[in-house]
Amino acid sequence: MTRAYWLLQRLTQLLPVLLGISVICFALLQMIPGDPARIILGSRASPEAVAAMRDRLGLDQPALQQYLTYMSKVIRGDFGESISYKVPVSKLILEHAPVTGFLAVYVIALAVPIALILGMLAARYRGTWVDHLIRMLSVLGMTMPVFWLAILMLRLFSIDLGWFPVSGYGQGFLGHLHHLFLPAVSISIWMIPVLVRNLRASIVQQSVADYVLAGRAKGLTERHIFTHHILKNASLPTLNLFGVLVAYLIGGTVIVELVYALPGLGLLMFNAILGRDYPIIQGLTLFYALATVVITLVTDILSGLIDPRVKA
Amino acid sequence: MAVAIGSGDALLRVRDLGVAFAGQGAPVTAVNNASFELHAGEVLGIVGESGSGKSVTLRAIMGLLPATASITGSVRFDGQEILGMDPESLRQMRGRSLSMIFQNPSSHLDPLMTIGRQVAEPLLQHEKMRPAKARESAIKILGEVRIDRPEQRAANYPHQLSGGMKQRAMIASAIACRPRLLLADEPTTALDVTVQAHILALLADLNRSRGLSMVLVSHDLAVIAQVCDRVVVMKDGEVVEQGAAGKLVTTPQHPYTQRLIESQPGRLAAVAAAPTVAITDSPLLEIRNLGVQFRLPRTGLLRPKALLKAVDDVSIGLQRGETLGIVGESGSGKSTVARAIMGLETPAQGDVLLDGRSIRAGRLAGQPDFRRRIQMAFQNPFDSLNPRFTVRQTIVEPLRKHRLVPADRFDARVAELMALVELDPRLADRKPGQLSGGQCQRVGIARALAMEPEILIADEITSALDVTIQAQIIELLNRLRSQTGLSIIFISHDLALVRSFCHRVAVFEAGRVVEAGNVEKVLSEPQHPYTQTLIASVPEL
Repeated sequence: MTRAYWLLQRLTQLLPVLLGISVICFALLQMIPGDPARIILGSRASPEAVAAMRDRLGLDQPALQQYLTYMSKVIRGDFGESISYKVPVSKLILEHAPVTGFLAVYVIALAVPIALILGMLAARYRGTWVDHLIRMLSVLGMTMPVFWLAILMLRLFSIDLGWFPVSGYGQGFLGHLHHLFLPAVSISIWMIPVLVRNLRASIVQQSVADYVLAGRAKGLTERHIFTHHILKNASLPTLNLFGVLVAYLIGGTVIVELVYALPGLGLLMFNAILGRDYPIIQGLTLFYALATVVITLVTDILSGLIDPRVKA
Repeated sequence: MAVAIGSGDALLRVRDLGVAFAGQGAPVTAVNNASFELHAGEVLGIVGESGSGKSVTLRAIMGLLPATASITGSVRFDGQEILGMDPESLRQMRGRSLSMIFQNPSSHLDPLMTIGRQVAEPLLQHEKMRPAKARESAIKILGEVRIDRPEQRAANYPHQLSGGMKQRAMIASAIACRPRLLLADEPTTALDVTVQAHILALLADLNRSRGLSMVLVSHDLAVIAQVCDRVVVMKDGEVVEQGAAGKLVTTPQHPYTQRLIESQPGRLAAVAAAPTVAITDSPLLEIRNLGVQFRLPRTGLLRPKALLKAVDDVSIGLQRGETLGIVGESGSGKSTVARAIMGLETPAQGDVLLDGRSIRAGRLAGQPDFRRRIQMAFQNPFDSLNPRFTVRQTIVEPLRKHRLVPADRFDARVAELMALVELDPRLADRKPGQLSGGQCQRVGIARALAMEPEILIADEITSALDVTIQAQIIELLNRLRSQTGLSIIFISHDLALVRSFCHRVAVFEAGRVVEAGNVEKVLSEPQHPYTQTLIASVPEL
């Protein structure tokens, strides 16, 4: 099977997924109990205003017609208009996405190298104090609630020591790095252990594989066997887990954004839910879903590049 | 091959080799006091059954045993003591002076690395070749092990190659640095018999053309006898007998060697006295123009889904009391036929008739008991039993489900069935993990017999077993068919076994029956070229 055909096949498989996502996002608004227009406008709105809102939302049309209208708008990048901010939802998302995106990349840049090193160390020194120490720290990191850790670090490093800003996103690349350091660390401390444990387990599993014995029989050095054979094979399961974690990360930054007052997508979502700004909720849900789909696709393509059997 | 034995110094001299593994409790002895030697240019065979310590011996020579192994004695290669050598010097010898190939080429090649790179690896490591030069050499070596189109194959990954090709690739990577000694651990066990013949020919050729000395380990005495100059017989970690191959086979001294030779499928005497069967026009089971197809995944956007004809227009009959052999290599469709008879595959065409009534129509017309009348025993004795069930639970399950005997008679019936397959009644409360392979296979047969079937389909039931255990199972089936008039469809890749046990045989190739008839006639005067190749490929004692 050619690489191009394989990719095309993967993309075609996405069509039903995208369709399902759009139906669910559309249904979000339909499922608001009662009259969405009245709920959106509040109980004191005049009947005229409600009627106008119903007309604007197209609620009087049949559901299928509404869905088609919704889809044709979404395809053109029109996610509707925020009720409270009175600006297009797409503009809001584009304004807030860079913060969350920067944070996500920051977390990845911090977590991946550390997780790789710790995972390899734990597997290499399996059963020794190194392994036990890494395991203990991992359990600690995984069990500590992210919001609690975030508050604790904010208190210590920002308020008491004054090393890092208390809130905000900062100016310029270095400013972002400075402002987002504590938020990125808070998330990494949860993410690193998950990756470390997975990587350690898969290295341990691969290091007793038959091809390792065959490599020794060929007189290859242990270092060569590890770097050229074991690590590559062991990275596959961890890569797939990593994809899931990153997808979760995009939608899972809300708590950290809240604690550190970062103007990201999480905060936008939080405020939209409090303010019952349904168009924003709908738009963000669609955005999160699309992001997940894209990340999963990228993960699949990456594993396809490493593992020739994926395309078989 | 002709080497004056005893002249000069041995290339490999193993003296009083002992290997024990530390575990919970007392250490387990795997090899005890093994001594043998190999002269330059010689091919030495080590034969033995599972647990005889033959693989452990090879690994001890290579220094590949885990740290939990304690090794005693002496292994001298080219005058140098290997045991106790520092790991780095030993590593430098491996792949360059002595090399090893393994049983399962699929798992011993790295799935993520191209064949060419895996062959080039030892060249890069030991001879510090530049990558381009190593690649060139790798392609040359792939050609030498007779891989066709070596340039293209070098860029392939293991999963794109057949089993035989993978074994050739593994041999190529082992001989890349032109070692003097090659240790081969069951190199053909996972391969089809025609492929096995090619690999053995290749090894013999490498021995002749390069003077490559070899230690060949196998459970199969016929394979060993075919390619080896001298043979070492191991049992329970000890060398029980050794000598020149021809002499050892014709005049074995040790009782175990004698038993090993008697157990060879071609020499099973007990079976010759099989009951004769009259061929009638109304067979018990009739397979009529059977076809089974599988849909293959699409390989291109506009290409249609290809159909694989796993079984194609097959017609055979099974007489009452007859044993019908079905032989063929992997992928020939022999197991698919069995599954179709059991109703586990839906035929695309044709039919299976039991007593003249269609199994397919029969199920609709209220004949649910056809499954009871046809039962199956499987290849892997461990995998086909529920690991959480005791022997008793395994045998009771069909009795209960089909209400074959009242609940208060379960124990009595279990005892009867266990006696029938010659299982010690004290094993009734054991689970598969606590039984040997042969015992598990007996449980599998007892479970099938619990349904009181008229037909037993035995799908490669002895291929996972040692040859002496295989002989016992065959003897058991032979007694069962004489006592109960059981009809058997005996699926096997082993021609010699089929020859000694079956009345008639059907030879399968690529889903079709290429030849069928009386077993003696087909196997001594094969008409079809494929049958002829198959027979010529079987190593004989």
